[in-house]
Formats: sequence, C-alpha cells, structure tokens
Amino acid sequence: MLVDDEEGIRKVLGISLSDSGYTVFTAQSGEEALDIFRRENPAIVLTDIKMPGMDGIKLLRALKQENPDTEVIMITGHGDMDLAIKSLKYQAIDFVTKPINEDVLEIALNRAHEKIRMRQQLREYTENLESLVREKSAKLIEIERQVAVGQAVEGLSAAMRDMAVDLEGGLTYFNEMPCFVSIHSPELKVIAVNPLYRDRLGDKVGHDSWEVYEGKTGTKANCPAAETYNSGIGVRARATVKTASGDKAPVMVNTAPIRNQNGDVELVVEISADLAEVKRLQEELDRSQQRYQQLFDEVPCYISVQDRQFRLTAANRRFTEDFDTEYGAFCYEVYKHRNEPCPNCPVMKTFEDGQSHQTEMVVTSKAGERYNVLIWTAPLRNSAGEVTHVMEMSTNITQIRQLQDNLSSLGLKISSISHGIKGLLTGLDGGMYLVESGFNKDKPERVQKGWEDIKTIVGRIRKLVHNILFFAKERELKPTRIAGLNFAEDVAATVENRLKASGINFVRDFDDSVGMLRIDAGVLRLALINILENALDACLEDQTQNKHKIGFRVGQDAGQVIFEISDNGIGMDQETCEKLFTLFFSTKGNKGTGLGLFIAAKIVDQHGGKISVESKRGRGSTFKVSIPNIEPESAKTKENIE
Amino acid sequence: MPKKILIIDDDPVVVNYLKAVFSDNGYATCSASSSMEGLETVKAEKPDLICLDLQMPGEWGPRFYRKLRKDKELKDTPVIVVSGIDGDHAVKDAVAFVKKPFDPEKLVGIVKNTIG
Repeated sequence: MLVDDEEGIRKVLGISLSDSGYTVFTAQSGEEALDIFRRENPAIVLTDIKMPGMDGIKLLRALKQENPDTEVIMITGHGDMDLAIKSLKYQAIDFVTKPINEDVLEIALNRAHEKIRMRQQLREYTENLESLVREKSAKLIEIERQVAVGQAVEGLSAAMRDMAVDLEGGLTYFNEMPCFVSIHSPELKVIAVNPLYRDRLGDKVGHDSWEVYEGKTGTKANCPAAETYNSGIGVRARATVKTASGDKAPVMVNTAPIRNQNGDVELVVEISADLAEVKRLQEELDRSQQRYQQLFDEVPCYISVQDRQFRLTAANRRFTEDFDTEYGAFCYEVYKHRNEPCPNCPVMKTFEDGQSHQTEMVVTSKAGERYNVLIWTAPLRNSAGEVTHVMEMSTNITQIRQLQDNLSSLGLKISSISHGIKGLLTGLDGGMYLVESGFNKDKPERVQKGWEDIKTIVGRIRKLVHNILFFAKERELKPTRIAGLNFAEDVAATVENRLKASGINFVRDFDDSVGMLRIDAGVLRLALINILENALDACLEDQTQNKHKIGFRVGQDAGQVIFEISDNGIGMDQETCEKLFTLFFSTKGNKGTGLGLFIAAKIVDQHGGKISVESKRGRGSTFKVSIPNIEPESAKTKENIE
Repeated sequence: MPKKILIIDDDPVVVNYLKAVFSDNGYATCSASSSMEGLETVKAEKPDLICLDLQMPGEWGPRFYRKLRKDKELKDTPVIVVSGIDGDHAVKDAVAFVKKPFDPEKLVGIVKNTIG
C-alpha cells in the first residue's frame, strides 16, 4: 500500500511499483490508509511522514498495533532526519528520502521482503517445534494416566483384599474418615468400628448391629445390616442414632456388602455420616462463600471480570452503583463511553502475557462524572492454566489527583508571590534609603518622599497579605443580614480617602430601595475593594488626562442587587478581559500578584452571584457584580449546620 | 558633564530609589516606566548606561533590549538588568544581572566599573 497526500507521488511511484510486480493500493491520508489496510491487509506499506490529519508516524504506530508483522517504509522529505529516526524507533523497517531514488527504494523493499521471509521461516520452525512438543507431551500424559489408573485399581483391590483377609488391616483405611464406620457379621453383630464411631457412639464391638439406632431402624429385622444381608445390595437410608452421651443425632447410612469367593455376602460395611456435621460443614461453606461475595462487593474498588472480547461477565456492587452494567456490555463502553477498545488497554496486555498490569485512566460514570482511576488487572485461568478472563480492579483516585493539582497550584502560587515580595522588599529598601539619606543630608522633602513610598509599599503588603490569607484558607461563608446600603457605604468609606488623595472624583450612586442582603459582609467587602483598587490603579496609570472619575453604583434588578464600579482609566483589550479572573494573571508587572480579581470572582461565586466586566482600551472599565438578594443555597445549609 | 543613566522600571517607588542612589553618587538620571517609553527616552537622552527591569506591563524588558540592539547608534549602550525574576537567558550580553532586592553599593560598584 502506498500512502502519500501528493497525487503526483502516488501516481508515479504507484506505476513503478506495479511494474516491479506489486499489487498496489494507494491512499491519500492516514485515515484512508487504515481503512484500506483493514480490508486488504497489505504486507508492505510505504507512507509519507508529513501528511495533514493522521501523519505517517501515527499511521505507523496504528499499523504496528493492528498487525505487528506489517513492514512499513517511511517516505521523508529532505531534512526530516529526526522524524525518520523516530519512525525507526516505532519499528519502521527503513526510510527513503524524497526525491525517491529507485535503487534506494528497491533496497528498502528487499529489506522488507527479507524480514517477512525470515519471520515466516521462524514461525514455521516454531510451529513445528510446538507441534512436536505437543505430540510428545500428549504421549507422556497418556502413559502417566495409564500408570496412575493401574495403580489406583491395584490399590483398591489390595484394600478390598486386605479387608476380606484381615479385618484389622482393612480398618485402618476407615480411621481417617469423618463418618461412623462399622463392620457387621452375618450374625448381625458389630465386629469392628472406627475411632470416631467409638468416640461418639461407644465401643459397640460384639453388640447387636441395631443397637445404636432409634425407632424402626433399631430392630433386628430392619437395621441396615440386616437389610443388606437379606437383599444382597447396598442400602441408603436416613436414621437416628443414640450417642454415647445419650443424645440423638440424625445420620445418613450407607451400607455395602462384601462377598466371599463364592459370591455370598460375608460382611457388611456400614458408613453413617452425621447429618448435623454435614449441615455444619455446608453452612461453613455457605458462610465463606458469602464472605467472599461480601468482600467482592464491599472492597473500596470497582471490580469487574471481562472475557477476551472485553465483555463484562461479573461486576461488584460498587461498580454497578457508579457505572451502567449490563452483563455482556463492553468494558470500554461502560467505562469510557467509547466505541472501540482503549489504546494501552491493561486487560488486553494481561490476556497477551498472563501477567498483572497497572495503568491510570480517566473514566466516566453513568452520572457523567469523570474519575481518575488506578487500574490493576489479574488473569483468571481455567484448570488447563489458560487465561480465560481478566479481573480488573480500579481504585478511584480522583481526590488524590485533585489534591495533587492543588499542590502544584500552590507551588505556582508561592513562586508568583515570592516574586511579588521581592518587588515589595526593593520598594521598602528604596523608601528607607530616601528617608535615611534625607535625614543625613538634611533634605526634609526627600524624607517626605521616602515616607510616602514606604506608605505605598506597606499598603501593597497589606493587600497582598489579605489576599494570601484569604486564598490560603478555604473559609466557609458566615452570612448575616445587613442593609444593602449600609454595606455599600462601608465599602465606599474604606476607599474614599485614598481615591480623593489621588485626585480622583469618587461618585456614589445608591438606589434607596435596595433592601436587606444576606451576605458575609467582611468577605464580599474584600471582593469589592479589590475591584475598586484596580479602578484606582487603572486611573493612575492613565496619563492621557487628569480628570479621573470612579463611579460606585448600587441598584437592583430582577431579584439581584447590583454593584457597579466604573472608571475612566486605561481600560483593557478583549484578551485581557477574558483572562482577567484567572489565577496569577496580572497586568501590573511588579505591582500585581494576580490574586485580587481571582479572589473577587471566587467570593462572588460563593455568594451565588455573577461578576462581569466591560472595557475598552483607553476608554475605562466597568465591573458589574450581581448578588441574589435572597440568601444563597450554600449559605443556607452552612447556617443550618451551625 | 556627569554620565547619564536611564532607569526603566514600571514601579515608581523603585524608580525613585534608583534615581536617589545614582544621583547621590554623582550621576545624572532619567527614567521611563515602560519599554515603549524607554525606547523614546534612549533616543532623546542618549544615556551612557541603562538600568532595565524585565517584567513590566505591556512589552517586557527583553523585547526592549532586542529593539535597542537593532539600532546601530544605540546598540553599544551597556545594560544592567535589575529584576526580581531570573532573566539570564532573556538578555544575553547584559553587563550584569542584579536581583531585587539589591544592595545599592554593589549596584553603584558595577556602574562605576562600567562607565566610570
């Protein structure tokens, strides 16, 4: 098969390959190539590396996975040596560079042929060897079997012989049995018993055969030994025996006649199983089976058993709880909602090599939740040692993964904050330098300036620390009822002085009809102050004008209380607006940590509200925060718990 | 005439600081708060040395540096990087890298060694 996205190459190379006696299939993309491959199964594939969609390397890997015996020759452009080498790693047989030299191509094709031929030979040898081994071992097993059968027959007949000849010797065979065993004479006397019989029923040797039985069985005419002598065949019956301690026990009696050389019944062997004991054993078996079932159901993993087609043949309770389980459904459908087996399937590997495999995957539950799971597989073998099923155990590690994500974002956070702190320290150094040198040189205006700088930096440090504290501790909201306007006034008062000191016109626009709010005032305040301080920075940075204005509007709309903060500062472009609320995104260089608006958005979200921004570069920005003026669901439950 | 140093940093507190340090040591100073402004100031003021911060809003320091090096008249102006981030790879042949927070005496020492 020849795969290239350039029609010219397909045509020319196709013709020359046909001339050399090949049957040529052509494909113009990796995807088409896979289709043709599945239909025609060509032995050799020539493929271009660089193609749109599925490229040559991906195609190579797919082909090798579907049929490792396919030989793939890569066609590379000039200077794609890295790709060519990479393709050899994925077991391409060779590569030819464009423009294609016929001799080079022939060498590559010959190499592929050679490999195919060698592999065939190897396979023939191996197969011959295997069938030889099979044949020989079958013979061996047959002989073994015959020997074993012979021995067993011999052993049994010896036992019978011994028993007939020497009663004492014969009895040793019964000593280990968990049954009452006794031997009875034609005179219906007990002539031998096993230890269990002696322990439980008493040493009845020399006593009447019917003595141990209760009721009808306990009569001379109807005892099992008598019936056996009369009929000449074994008896099987339920009966009740009296134990040595005076209790009664139900038993299952089996008898067998032992004949002499003339064919007359000479002795009767009576074997009684204690039904209570049998029942007890059965219960124990049931219990341990139940225990296994419980274990299977209750282990904190998803367990499923799959056959070679990846169809589910069993699943534990936890699995059925979280995933749609229909026996016979395919694992990849149930677990991943896919239409074909997953690449790197550990079950497939276990079927191939009989070993246990481990992998991590993301699966989707029937509720649509995505879980990270750690999967172990184990082979289940039949009595011949062949792997017929694979058991798959998946542990849900989603929480561990989330924790890991949190940790890595913490690492990111620390590096971002440490950078911010370096800036702050430099600023403090600067302020101190000005103050100190100002005093030394007796320049009060320099001291003044230094002191202003220090105040600015301390303000920044305060803000950073607040934000870090907020971020570091996931605190639950503690909502209280507060009049919306009081809250707004409090926020405004906090920033008003600073805004005025920077020469900014701060305009309140409060709607008197705003009623009570249920909010965590301390927390929501931090969010609004973060936004107001950003507005201040945006105005200070804008040097195109000096009439700056920040508006703080509070109103209501459709069950929402709206806080709107607008400025006529530098504004932002579309891209900046989109990234604005993400963690560590900052437009402020050394002065920002990228925490402020991220935290503001988080706080608003906790209150069940929305935050949005409208802005244009050079035209200023408007932030809109809407908070539902009914209390948020999350706050309700939190409060009820308290 | 005193030698002139251009300070490019977006944080006015840091600019004040550097200005004070350099003028106390007998240098003239000028400043810019962004890369763009920096390029204009370099052309207008022809400083003898540039103190460059790397992380600034808008264009970052390294981009300023590349533009500076393309300008034939200005490309030999020595540059000292003063920044809180590691930028050794970003500005290849700077005279020195000074990490924030910095020791003012050391910084002045480097400046003296470079332009006297």
